[in-house]
Amino acid sequence: MSELERNESQAAVIETAEPAHHIGTEVLFSAKDITKTFGGTKALKGVELEVHAGEIVGLVGENGAGKSTLLKIIIGAQPQTSGTMMFHGKPYEPKTPMDANKAGVGMVFQEQSLIVTLNVAQNIFFGHEKEFKSGPIINWAKMNKEAADVLAEVDITDILPTKKVSDLNFATRQMVEIAKVINVTKQSGAEHCLILLDEPTSVLNEAEVQNLYKQMRKIADRGHAVIFVSHHLDEILHITDRIYVYKDGSSVGSLDTKDATEAKLYEMMVGHDTTTEYYHLDRQTRPKDDVLLEVKDLGLHGIFKHLNFQLHRGEVLGLCGVVGSGAEEVCEVICGDEKPSFGEMYVRGEKVKFSAPHQALAKGILMIPKERLFEGIVSTLSVEDNIALSNAKQLAKGPFVSAAAVRQQADRWIKDLRIKTSGAKELLMQLSGGNQQKVVFSRALASGADILLLNHPTRGVDVGAKEEIYALIRTMTDEGKAVIVLGDTTDECIGLCSRLIVMKDGLVTGEFEAPADHKPSQLDVVSLMM
Amino acid sequence: MTTKSPQTVKKSAGVRDNIMKYFSFSAIIILVLALSITQENWLGTTNLSNLLRDTAPLMIMSAGMTMVLLFGSIDLSMGAVCSVSNVTYVHFMLAYQDAFISPWIASILGMLVSLAFGLGSGIALGLIHVKLKVPSFIASLGFMSLWQSVALLITQNPESVPKAMWGTVAWYKIAFGVLGLPLVFALLIIVLLHCITRFTPSGRAIFAIGGNERTARVAGMSVDRTKLIVFAVNGLLAALAGIFLAANLRSSAPTIGDAFTLKIVAACALGGTSLAGGKGSELGTILGVFTVAIIENGMNFIGVDAYSQNVVFGIFVLLAIAITVDRRVRGQIVK
Repeated sequence: MSELERNESQAAVIETAEPAHHIGTEVLFSAKDITKTFGGTKALKGVELEVHAGEIVGLVGENGAGKSTLLKIIIGAQPQTSGTMMFHGKPYEPKTPMDANKAGVGMVFQEQSLIVTLNVAQNIFFGHEKEFKSGPIINWAKMNKEAADVLAEVDITDILPTKKVSDLNFATRQMVEIAKVINVTKQSGAEHCLILLDEPTSVLNEAEVQNLYKQMRKIADRGHAVIFVSHHLDEILHITDRIYVYKDGSSVGSLDTKDATEAKLYEMMVGHDTTTEYYHLDRQTRPKDDVLLEVKDLGLHGIFKHLNFQLHRGEVLGLCGVVGSGAEEVCEVICGDEKPSFGEMYVRGEKVKFSAPHQALAKGILMIPKERLFEGIVSTLSVEDNIALSNAKQLAKGPFVSAAAVRQQADRWIKDLRIKTSGAKELLMQLSGGNQQKVVFSRALASGADILLLNHPTRGVDVGAKEEIYALIRTMTDEGKAVIVLGDTTDECIGLCSRLIVMKDGLVTGEFEAPADHKPSQLDVVSLMM
Repeated sequence: MTTKSPQTVKKSAGVRDNIMKYFSFSAIIILVLALSITQENWLGTTNLSNLLRDTAPLMIMSAGMTMVLLFGSIDLSMGAVCSVSNVTYVHFMLAYQDAFISPWIASILGMLVSLAFGLGSGIALGLIHVKLKVPSFIASLGFMSLWQSVALLITQNPESVPKAMWGTVAWYKIAFGVLGLPLVFALLIIVLLHCITRFTPSGRAIFAIGGNERTARVAGMSVDRTKLIVFAVNGLLAALAGIFLAANLRSSAPTIGDAFTLKIVAACALGGTSLAGGKGSELGTILGVFTVAIIENGMNFIGVDAYSQNVVFGIFVLLAIAITVDRRVRGQIVK
């Protein structure tokens, strides 16, 4: 966002903040000291949240700050590890989203939760079909009529309740979902309801966003409360009454929207810069001159386009961008998992086209994927077999892979990377997240690939293991490999990389040189991402 | 078919692993003991050599199916491919018995035609699964129906191997004591496949694909090629089993393979191969095959009639799989 635009949106803040909303003093919902642990890692480390009746509260924070996890706990989709929640002054412990709905809490999920094979009315009253039964038969006409009323409530009159959801576009589905959630919470009979919106605007156009704002305000004016999560700070500043800022699973603080500016929010989200030792900056190498990988005007239909860069030997190139910026898909295209729709790729000057990752591996490109459990490891295989996944052919003597070679290789990596395991034969599912990730790194290093794409290499890994992984990345570049990193946080990206490409909505919005002694500020980078 | 969620609970791993490991083994021992005590001549040479000889086709097909199951797919068309191969082989010998100087030429050509058919069927199934992304379950079900009909179109009635050609199928009855040549062949095949799946790069890929296909792909394995090869080999083995059956009976039968479909899956499952893929071994399948063979032989020996045999067999298979199936994965969706 340019300086000019930012000033404009600040002006907008002042305008919307002017008419004072009738915010009740009653605390409708509160969460105290909520923690959540996944495996060995803490996603939430004691989070606070307080919502008053009639209020729209915005949650902001970088990817992985814990916003979505907190919402999932509030809606009962996941249990918290510790901490308490109160709703209407009473302890609130939903076991399932259905419990939450009954209490008067509803959520519009980031990933859409409508059943696309059913029609709009069936979706709106899903789980409440009993209310429409006459005898053993469901009175569809009555359901359709009431569905139309529910839609009219949120000013949607152009959707037929009998329309199949799969025939609707995403924006319309989103509005149906919002209508459904509002209805569900209303039916709970609670005096004040709480509605959670997780990134609801990402698929909406301008007019629909305006209607959504109107509906949110309408809900709040009736004394209900809304929690609104968005990566777009201008939206947060525009519509909310109060803002909570989260960072690395803890709350940084809250402020009234009328006192907030984008600059202030960026500063709070980013927090303090981490120490230089953490990222082993002293070991950051200067990229060599030879180009290992070059992409020209690369694009994937509807996701990203016009991407150009050169990757040099010994370079750590960072791709920064929030979810939906296209940075992750760039990784997938380069590693051969997705075919690019436009543009060209050159590896060591040679033009390449990949239709599967094994072709990319043959050219020395390998990705460490983001979702470790789903695409990084084979949990039913042993540590040694996982390490040998990408280089079994190199280990083979004649047609057979020698078991001794596999074992030897595994023992070496277990020692080098200090993988905590009872032995090379242990099944991978028995290892902790950090150690599993080290196994994935061992595999990538053993593969002999010299262009490594690290898609969130430290996701779900505890602090100690994180630092070891950073050191490993430094070792890779020392050995003359080139690395592309998608960091879990902007801080990580800046700390690790010697060059940064910032992406937003599928386009490159900025490039930074990041030599060890002259790192760009997080503020500059983050302001180009959102 | 099962879909795995990543959250695996560790508890009671030891006990369950042991049940899975020793289930077939103990079943064989219990069955052998019970049958030899209650049935006087069960352990006699005649029955034992029959039992061991008749096991060969089942073992060959189970060897192939084990690989398919290991990477998380299934091939239900094996029995039907076996039938077509069976009738093709005998039909070819009948048609060309006088066309060549030696009966061996007709016999060997017939074999090659049958094997080529099996290979082609396997490759076609593999392509449909890999390229068109049709689930192997439904694709092979379609092939099963297709080949069952084709077998009946070739001949509706069993055909006999002409007497002049008997010499060319006599190898099937060669035996070393109670151990017949066919079983030796079958054991060689299964041990070879064991070595391939355990110790070659492509074989190791099978386990990785079964454990997590997405990981295997991203890690740079040729997932599609591996699957295609396995389906091709599997078709070839089904055809080979058809030839074995023809040589054994010196005649063909268009429905001879139908009964095998359940037995193959049962043998693999009893042998400890997970129907969800990723876990199991060819050596385990050997035990599974013998378990199935002993049950079948035992019922024949006692004189259980054919219809009731299927009832007993079906119940036994359900129980066995229910006991050995891996329920440790939390939130597992079974389809």
